[in-house]
Amino acid sequence: MTISRRVFLRAGAFGLVSLGADPLFVDRAAYALGGRGTRGKTLVLLFQRGAVDGLSMVVPTGDAWYWRERSRIAIDRQQLLALDGTFALHPRLAPLKPLWDRGMLAPVQAVGSPSLTRSHFDAQDYMESGTPDRKSTTDGWANRYVAAHDREHAETPFRAVAFGPQLPRVLAGSAPSLAIDDLRTFGVREARRDGDARLTRAFESLYQGSATGLVASSAAEGFDAIRMLKDADPGNRPAEHGASYPRSRFGQSMQQIAQLIKADLGLQVAFADVGGWDTHVNQGGGEGQIATRLDDLARAISAFTTDLDARMLDVVILTMSEFGRRVRENGTGGTDHGHATAMMVIGGGVRGGTVYGRWPGLAPEQRHEGRDLAVTTDFRDLFGEVLTGHLGAASLDGVVPGHRPAPPLGLFG
Amino acid sequence: MAATGVVRWIEAQLAVPAVGDPARRDLERQLTSLRTPTGELLAREAEARRAAVARADSGAARPDATRMRQANPLRELAVEYAGLTLTRQAGSGHQLAEVLADFWFNHFNVFQNKGLDRVLLRDYLEQAIRPNALGTFEALLLATARSPAMLFYLDNAQSVAEGADPRDALAQRFPAMRNRRRPAANDPRMEQLRQRMPQGPNENYARELLELHTLGVDGGYTQDDIVGVARILTGWSLDRRTGAFQFNAWAHDRGEKAVLGQRFPAGGGREEGERLLRMLAAHPSTMHHVSSKLCAKFVADVPPDGCIDDAVRAWQQSGGEIREVVAAILRGPDFWSPTSVGAKVKSPHEFVVSAVRALGAEAARPQALVAQLARLGQPLFQQSAPTGWPETQEDWVSSAALLARMNFAVDLASGRMPGVRVDLDRLVPATADHGALLDAIDSVLLAGAMQPTTRRAILDEIAALPDAAAARAMAVGLALGGPDFQRQ
Repeated sequence: MTISRRVFLRAGAFGLVSLGADPLFVDRAAYALGGRGTRGKTLVLLFQRGAVDGLSMVVPTGDAWYWRERSRIAIDRQQLLALDGTFALHPRLAPLKPLWDRGMLAPVQAVGSPSLTRSHFDAQDYMESGTPDRKSTTDGWANRYVAAHDREHAETPFRAVAFGPQLPRVLAGSAPSLAIDDLRTFGVREARRDGDARLTRAFESLYQGSATGLVASSAAEGFDAIRMLKDADPGNRPAEHGASYPRSRFGQSMQQIAQLIKADLGLQVAFADVGGWDTHVNQGGGEGQIATRLDDLARAISAFTTDLDARMLDVVILTMSEFGRRVRENGTGGTDHGHATAMMVIGGGVRGGTVYGRWPGLAPEQRHEGRDLAVTTDFRDLFGEVLTGHLGAASLDGVVPGHRPAPPLGLFG
Repeated sequence: MAATGVVRWIEAQLAVPAVGDPARRDLERQLTSLRTPTGELLAREAEARRAAVARADSGAARPDATRMRQANPLRELAVEYAGLTLTRQAGSGHQLAEVLADFWFNHFNVFQNKGLDRVLLRDYLEQAIRPNALGTFEALLLATARSPAMLFYLDNAQSVAEGADPRDALAQRFPAMRNRRRPAANDPRMEQLRQRMPQGPNENYARELLELHTLGVDGGYTQDDIVGVARILTGWSLDRRTGAFQFNAWAHDRGEKAVLGQRFPAGGGREEGERLLRMLAAHPSTMHHVSSKLCAKFVADVPPDGCIDDAVRAWQQSGGEIREVVAAILRGPDFWSPTSVGAKVKSPHEFVVSAVRALGAEAARPQALVAQLARLGQPLFQQSAPTGWPETQEDWVSSAALLARMNFAVDLASGRMPGVRVDLDRLVPATADHGALLDAIDSVLLAGAMQPTTRRAILDEIAALPDAAAARAMAVGLALGGPDFQRQ
């Protein structure tokens, strides 16, 4: 099914437009994407690999057990950035505070998976496949979403893009998706540095003449992508509105996502990894290990929203992590693998300024297995609500199979 | 190769006594990754983990750096072993045997980056997969079921009978404890112990054993069968110090079980697991499922019914002799039909191995190829899902993937891949006669299957290159990166 769809689209309207170096091409593509007068929406997925301590991101200051169980790593009250009477942001998330104040940041507490696994490997797998405790699922939920929801006239090679050397599981599957390490070097590496794309042309004529079926259509998509990148040149777009991205790998990924969004190439789902959250030892509080990681996270997201400015009306960022960490600190100043964590939804169309998710409480009898923050929001419900509320998903049947959705949290509309 | 030549080649390839080219044995004997005893690797692994914790405890290291250093002493060996695997596949005279070993590893997939599997993977391939890749399916299945790598990967190592007493486990691990007074069942230390101990059967391996390894997802089993299989295999575990298989009698469920209508009476031990595996190996659903995967590998993404029928018949007649089943597929009409020839697109792994083989490239540091393979989207031993890598073109063909193949081909042909030496002089002579050059490339790299359109495109491109060696490198790069070479 996918093949015929892709072959058809190649030969259809998009194929015609993209032949030749039509200077209007980019504008027309943008127009086509807009559909009925709106610009295309983009969802940015950020995976905090290693299981982030949600209690250090969105700190439950109003829960006495937080202070009781974390004598060494609780964050100093004076430094915390109060959100409401119950929760506060980690001081190093300060760059996100203006987003909260403007109603663009919606933290969701106590999100997680129904799976009881405490293995990073399994839990990441489940969160990306969207099928907890089912290992044989080979594709990712974001790919299934893209495959099932065709945007009219919008078959662009940039619809689903992961920034990094490899395609993550969440984007793996039958729908076309790209892994891009660097926008500036995507394509055929030319031997000569004079800007003449002769090797690219040689391979293109080779594939135009000799390839058939899926190989032909995919190659053509690839050469279109190279041309589109060359015309739009997103990789050299400077950050705008005074935005300054951290020089970290994650910061660079966020900048490239912004560049691709601004180039109007039809980016619908973007993905980036941000690691280093497995803080078993010396986690730190307001300073230290986790603070350093949160600093990178917040500065990159803040730069991204500043850079995109009004375009944030069409963009939502969703953070996720495979599970949370133990309520009680361990003997080495860190936290061990837990259950629920906190995630963040950020965007111009998000009803932010409220902490979402039912707070289960940190008292021992309120915890999962007496140890961990209990899950009150299934991650599939949160992801599904974002797909529906932001991207306008018509149905989630194939995206999170076998899951009966809970009532929405009310993040949108 | 003419058809008769191919037939003779296949017969010779299937006649080899075992996987592993004797011509390469001396070379391989020098490799640390092959020579180091498993127990020593496990000790090093444990040591590295302790050291990482100590280092992090001193506050010296950032978490990412810590994790990297923790993996390092073993990572080098893991990469060397992955390099060896690629070298064998690209250089062995026993090509078909290597293809089958890879097929079975993928069928019984294990993920190298899950904990101890970093260490155990080598023995899995050397002792379970390779020695059995040309034997009977039953022997292969039993070998994988007993392999510590698989037991660890799919969590059977921690699958214990409901209510199994952890004190018995400790007594088994530390014999000296037997003489000491056992803590009372309500001792608070017991509560701690219980939290750390595995609790109850784990169905993970049981499910994949039925769904992926034997019967297939539509093979006619139920959730109750999965539970039965899991209970029968409780106690199948490993010794974490030696990396050897270990049956923990204390963890085994001695109750009565039933699987696929067969009764397994109460009181059974390790032998009932072996009976179960033999039963699964000989089950008609297994024959059909595994034959169908072999046909998908060798013939077409959607395996023709005729191929599956031929394979199943050979399976029944030979009692599951892998050689016979594969021979039936390769002799069958579907393998030779014009719709099958060139119908399959190479996976990135097949692409890299075939390119290196076609060029006769010598990898002094095969690690470079391992890294390239990861960049092309199929990192060796790194498929985390138990399904193994997929076999269909939809999973491998995408715009970015094809561009990456083009870059790989050009780098390889022009000698720009570090650690890999290509001697094009041995392959095709550099000549100003581009027609003769293309003839040679067609015959050496594409077995005469170069399309006229390919030929014309390459000729056009190299026409402007005055230097014969440069034109040759360009032509070889385009041929390897072009569409004709992407087909099997």
